[in-house]
Amino acid sequence: MIKVENLFYSYTKDSKYAVDDVNFEVAKGEAFGFLGPSGAGKSTTQGILTGLLPMQDGLAEVAGYNMKNPSRKMFNKLGVSFEQSNVYGKLTALENLEFYRKLFDVETIEPNVLLEIVGLSHVANKKASTFSKGMKHRLTFARSMLNKPELWFLDEPTTGLDPAIANQIKDVIKEKSKEGSTIFLTTHNMFIADELCDRVGFIIDGVLKLIDSPRNLKLKYGQKLVDIEYKDGNEIKKDSFSLIKEEERLKLNHIINNYEIELMHTKEATLEEIFIKVTGRGLV
Amino acid sequence: MKFAHNFIKDMKVSFKTFYIYIEILMALIFVAILLFVVPENFSSDINMYAHIDSSLQSNEIVEALESDNSSNIILLDSMDEIKYMLEEDRNSIGISISMVDQKILYNVILQGYESQKYRNIIEKSLIAEGIKDLPEYGSNTNIVTLASSSERLSDRLNMLPIFLLLNSAFTGLFIVATYIFMDKEEGTIRAFAVTPAKVWEYLLSKMGVMLVTGLLTGLITTLLVAGLKANYLHLIALLIATNLFGTSIGLFISSFYDSIMKAMGAILVTFMTLAFATTSYFMPSFNPIIIRILPSYPMAFAFREVFLENPDIAYIYSNVAGFTVLAALFFLWSNHRFKKTLTV
Repeated sequence: MIKVENLFYSYTKDSKYAVDDVNFEVAKGEAFGFLGPSGAGKSTTQGILTGLLPMQDGLAEVAGYNMKNPSRKMFNKLGVSFEQSNVYGKLTALENLEFYRKLFDVETIEPNVLLEIVGLSHVANKKASTFSKGMKHRLTFARSMLNKPELWFLDEPTTGLDPAIANQIKDVIKEKSKEGSTIFLTTHNMFIADELCDRVGFIIDGVLKLIDSPRNLKLKYGQKLVDIEYKDGNEIKKDSFSLIKEEERLKLNHIINNYEIELMHTKEATLEEIFIKVTGRGLV
Repeated sequence: MKFAHNFIKDMKVSFKTFYIYIEILMALIFVAILLFVVPENFSSDINMYAHIDSSLQSNEIVEALESDNSSNIILLDSMDEIKYMLEEDRNSIGISISMVDQKILYNVILQGYESQKYRNIIEKSLIAEGIKDLPEYGSNTNIVTLASSSERLSDRLNMLPIFLLLNSAFTGLFIVATYIFMDKEEGTIRAFAVTPAKVWEYLLSKMGVMLVTGLLTGLITTLLVAGLKANYLHLIALLIATNLFGTSIGLFISSFYDSIMKAMGAILVTFMTLAFATTSYFMPSFNPIIIRILPSYPMAFAFREVFLENPDIAYIYSNVAGFTVLAALFFLWSNHRFKKTLTV
């Protein structure tokens, strides 16, 4: 669904690349996560793939269209949810969706149905300018679903939302993914990426460092650890043991057999820890 | 159809913002000033304060002065009174006539702001009055008017073409940029860019809103000030062509900038340059080539034709055709530029 080869982009049109020789492919029906801190090149890549930024160098094919000269028809297959909500403040939620709906040449979803999905049906006839940041974000998200997109670009879809609404949005994404939509998710939130994506790519300073599934990355880079808290007389002690090293497993066994255990839980490496390990930088 | 949806949405948004109401308010203020402050025709009469020495036959002199009906003669008792009255009434001149050594002495008292040319005319007029009394004097003056059929608009109506030019024709020059940058700021332009709709549909819809605003303000003003003393068919044709031209220039300038603040300098300079044509409109004798090549120059005179009883239809419609073609060219150029810069 997406094919990117030797993609370069420079805002200053010199050798200071915001996207530097990026290569990847996203298969039809796949949920692909693009992970990186702010300024890593995620949004620039998405900008090129959605035609918002012009192609400079390299190859990018989206839904079968070459991004050097994409046809406007391509956008019948695409849905784009922006990180910064962008709706007409002077129009109501319903008017916003009704307007954008009429710009597509394909079958669209009823705006009222979408407002119901994102929990905005009770404010359908209120001006978007009166909405909170989270409500505007949900309206932007709802708009991206209007044309039942085959390829769905989601830029930080849950940022700034309260946990209950964020879970609702995640459920919608999971459902669309199950239905066969291809998802290109741009985020710095590794929990979302871990939960939703079949594969993730780590990008930093415009360079794509690696691509793999979250499971493979955890197996490859993670350590299987057990954190434990136990009583040694009147004293509470904390310790961490590897489940791979024989010596540490024996120590853990000893503690379990001889001490009163207060707390114990397994600890896998998170995507963030793996990201730091691979890139040497944090995700924020 | 997408253009129509865009246009309806833009009309809804524009009626929910204040720009369109400012335009209408401006038009109504202009109408109020024209109707209640500006007279139908400005009076060019001036008062003449005169003092005639008692040794002279003042009746004959007054009669001679009154024969010039461009001024009202007010007789006063002294030179000091003339000076006092001139200070009170700035649209006046004074004259004191006295006999010194058997010769008539004329003292003309002016305000001080009169040009040297005006002073010379006064002096020559007085001499000419003296010459007329010589027995061998015979008038040999013949005045020929080249444009014998030229119509003159009332002073009030004469101001209307300039309002139509600056407020109705050039509405879009300023406001279209505001609408585009408002969309950029709200981010809605990015949302539009990821739909199958085309950039020209977006731009043409903005032009449509500007056209409605321009027509609305132009027609309200004309109807209230000129009533039926205008040819509305010619007026609408001219308003459409000139408004499209003004908006296309506004679009073109906007395509070079990414914020209203950056664009405003270029827009203001363009507007001020185009407004220079008004000087030649009010002073037809001043029409250097630099002003005649401005598009606003023929526009102003074409709008004037709309109010004449016998308008030059060829002149009006050559303007309509010319500015429609120019508007189309600038629109296509703007569209080409915006395809690359709309979301960057």
